[in-house]
Amino acid sequence: MPLGISPMTIWYPRRPAAQSCIVGCSTMVPMPFTLAEPAAFPLVERILFAALAIASGSLFWRRFGPIFHRILQSKKDADFRLAPVGRRVWDFVSEVLFQSKVIRQRPLPGIAHAFVFWGFCAFALVTLNHCAVGLGIGFLSPEGFFGRFYFCFAAVFALTCAIGILGLFIRRFLVRPRWLGAKLSWESGFIAFLIFFLMATYLAAFFVPAGSTAITVLWWLHTLTLLVFLPIIPHTKHLHLVLSPATVFLSRGSFSRIPPLAGDEDFGLVAGTDLTRLVSLQAYSCVECGRCTEHCPAANTGKTLNPKEIILGLRSYLNEFGPASSEPLLGKHNPPVAPFQCTTCGSCEFQCPVGIEHLPILVGLRRGAVNTGAWDDDHGAKLFLSLERGSNTLGMQAGERDKFIQKQQFPIFDGTQEYCLWLGCMGGYDPKGREIVADFARVMRYLGTTFGVLRKEKCTGDPVRRLGNDLLFQQLAEANLEALAQNKVKKIVTICPHCVRTIQEDWKEYGTPPEVEHHSEFMARHLSRLPRPSQQDSIVYHDPCYLGRYRNVYAEPRTVVSHSGQLLEAERHAERSFCCGAGGGLAFLGEETGERVSHVRAKELVATGAKTIGTACPFCNSMFRDALASSTDTAPQLLDIAQLTARALPQQDTSSAS
Amino acid sequence: MKIVVAIKQVPERDAPVRIDAAGRWIEEADLQWALNESDAYALEEALQLKELHGGEVVVLSAGPERVGSTIREALAKGADRAIHIDCEDLGQRDALGVARLLATAIQPEDPDLVLTGLQSDDLGYGQTGVILAELLNLPHASLILHVEKSDTGITVKRELEEGWFQNIDLPLPAALTIQSGGAKLRYATLMGIKRAKTKEVRRIAAAELSAPPEAAVVLDRIALPQKQKITQVLSGSAQEAAAALVEKLKFEVHAL
Repeated sequence: MPLGISPMTIWYPRRPAAQSCIVGCSTMVPMPFTLAEPAAFPLVERILFAALAIASGSLFWRRFGPIFHRILQSKKDADFRLAPVGRRVWDFVSEVLFQSKVIRQRPLPGIAHAFVFWGFCAFALVTLNHCAVGLGIGFLSPEGFFGRFYFCFAAVFALTCAIGILGLFIRRFLVRPRWLGAKLSWESGFIAFLIFFLMATYLAAFFVPAGSTAITVLWWLHTLTLLVFLPIIPHTKHLHLVLSPATVFLSRGSFSRIPPLAGDEDFGLVAGTDLTRLVSLQAYSCVECGRCTEHCPAANTGKTLNPKEIILGLRSYLNEFGPASSEPLLGKHNPPVAPFQCTTCGSCEFQCPVGIEHLPILVGLRRGAVNTGAWDDDHGAKLFLSLERGSNTLGMQAGERDKFIQKQQFPIFDGTQEYCLWLGCMGGYDPKGREIVADFARVMRYLGTTFGVLRKEKCTGDPVRRLGNDLLFQQLAEANLEALAQNKVKKIVTICPHCVRTIQEDWKEYGTPPEVEHHSEFMARHLSRLPRPSQQDSIVYHDPCYLGRYRNVYAEPRTVVSHSGQLLEAERHAERSFCCGAGGGLAFLGEETGERVSHVRAKELVATGAKTIGTACPFCNSMFRDALASSTDTAPQLLDIAQLTARALPQQDTSSAS
Repeated sequence: MKIVVAIKQVPERDAPVRIDAAGRWIEEADLQWALNESDAYALEEALQLKELHGGEVVVLSAGPERVGSTIREALAKGADRAIHIDCEDLGQRDALGVARLLATAIQPEDPDLVLTGLQSDDLGYGQTGVILAELLNLPHASLILHVEKSDTGITVKRELEEGWFQNIDLPLPAALTIQSGGAKLRYATLMGIKRAKTKEVRRIAAAELSAPPEAAVVLDRIALPQKQKITQVLSGSAQEAAAALVEKLKFEVHAL
């Protein structure tokens, strides 16, 4: 174990000044260890190294080149804009450099991964120098101040990286979480070994005497590991090392952004020719970590859909058929039923650490099947036909809504009121949805907020938008936008997060929607003027996907719940909340295969022991109503946050609500 | 097989219907329009026959400008081309008058099969298709749920009362009126609409087909149905009462 500085002058023949510096530095900063590096290589070894490096590099390109070309040959993303660059840079810094998403959503393996990643970053310079040494043009001297600092700096990272990769190895091969797949990936094991070995050979060089044979052996072992590692990258999931920084930087940016169809021949993702560069880039970026699968309501209840397999299916498609193929995307590599089992809860996209946007892909595949008429489903066709001819998803007569409005004495919106109260299909036609709207109207009346309802209202088009029926969605969006413009509506408030999302984001493609907010946001703002109930029950709050992940509204409904009782949290909550099973049009598609999503979630909510389940979406409410009725005898009470709030209002105010 | 499907545009099911000042028709302004339901099934039957046996489906509709949207919907669902009889006074023509218009437009087409819905959702005469068959001098059958091609012509399934059905053979050419519910309707697709843009819609002025009609039947007055509330108590055990309730919900209220 050398405690001094090993002489390296032979190695830097063109920099004789280094000698004096070494002495100077070593006296100023006493260092326990110093990296030993080989002295000059014989010409044969230099040539051997150069040949191996060229072989490794060209093997890498032979494998990576075709992938790169497949991505570039894919269709251009018509709506892609680089702006805002600031946001992209921020995402890159936060998600790539600081590994924020990787760590936040899975702390232990996340930190282990971050150590490996940071280790690699720190190694960039070391490795460059390492190769340069092989050619006799090393530029970082272990005797130089910066070199010494940097080699020690990298050693710290090498140590944490080695520990990190060991941890990840133990996780994959001993702990074996099920979302990594039932089959052990030996390739991952081999890569883990390579990374560990890279670090070990680097660190070992601190402990061997300079000029020894051991140094040369270590140098060669380290180098060969590197050269073996490089060509393995492109055809394994380690391709994410190369691609995912670009994927994160280039992503569409906003959550679940469904791109507009481009031109008369675009019907969504039908065949290879419809795959855009972003989709192809994302397909090749998947690191197979399975976070999407871990959180997917479909994959966890025995459905065919597994979001990871969808992405890998697209990758297999690209590998076999390429982006110019007219072979259908739903077929050999992706089962046609899978995309239609998606609740569009968005957990997959929210969780994905490499910037894959699952929702535009899943909805895109649905669009491809529905817009061309390839999707044949009795329930789906019934939903579409009832919206082609009627006004609502429940297939009821519009007159039923009129009767409800009359009974509740809701004023008709005439431009003088502040808010347009949007009833939605559930609020206008569903018995429980009507109770929620009636209670919310009581709250508004109590606060003295003026509101009115539209005489005629059509479904916002949420379920058909998510199911990929662009024709019907456009018709519904345009009809509604026109009605709102005619009535000069400026502000909308509604009890349904699906309506909020669709009005605010999806309608933009066809016009300028009015301002819209969810009743949780409205009530949270006016909470100080609302009475508290005398009895404070325990209430577990369930985050609706379309309010939480889609709108980033987590705090407001919780303050409303806390106002009416003691807030409890289910194990999975906020951005990790588990779906009720209704989204993405699935509420209308009949019986599920496997276990019902709503039952799984209802059990989790009941397990908190809360006396009441608080919901903020009429669809969640409706799903849990059925789940609770069939699963437990002593089910907790199920109330929307509007009902929780209205409970505390003075009695005389209830005359119109029943 | 060349099939002509006669379709009608009627007020949308959810449309709020108001009677006009003269009391003889409804106010058409602000109404939304849709394809008559049984005509949608006639079109579906035609499209399925074409898919099985090849040929051409021509849709035919009489009415003002607005009928164009319904014609495009039919083209989007898969019809090959359309004939639009421009006619502003459809309401003044009785079933015979409308059938004359349709028959004159159909004759030069010389189709193998003429299909139309059993009756319209607005006037509900149930006459037009039958008279049309007579004017075209074609064998016809009504209340048809399903059509199959046979060696000699077609075999059709008719709906009788009480869940009874009747299968009869007809030679071709023939004319049929189609009952709702026999087939699974297809939904309109974006691709269909885009493709429909390039399909031919031939417009013929009603005056070119037949002289302004001398109606044999005149619509004198229309009125909204009287609302009534009836309470019925279902007797028997809970099980019997529930069974009776389901029966009523299904067949009387049509809520199930």
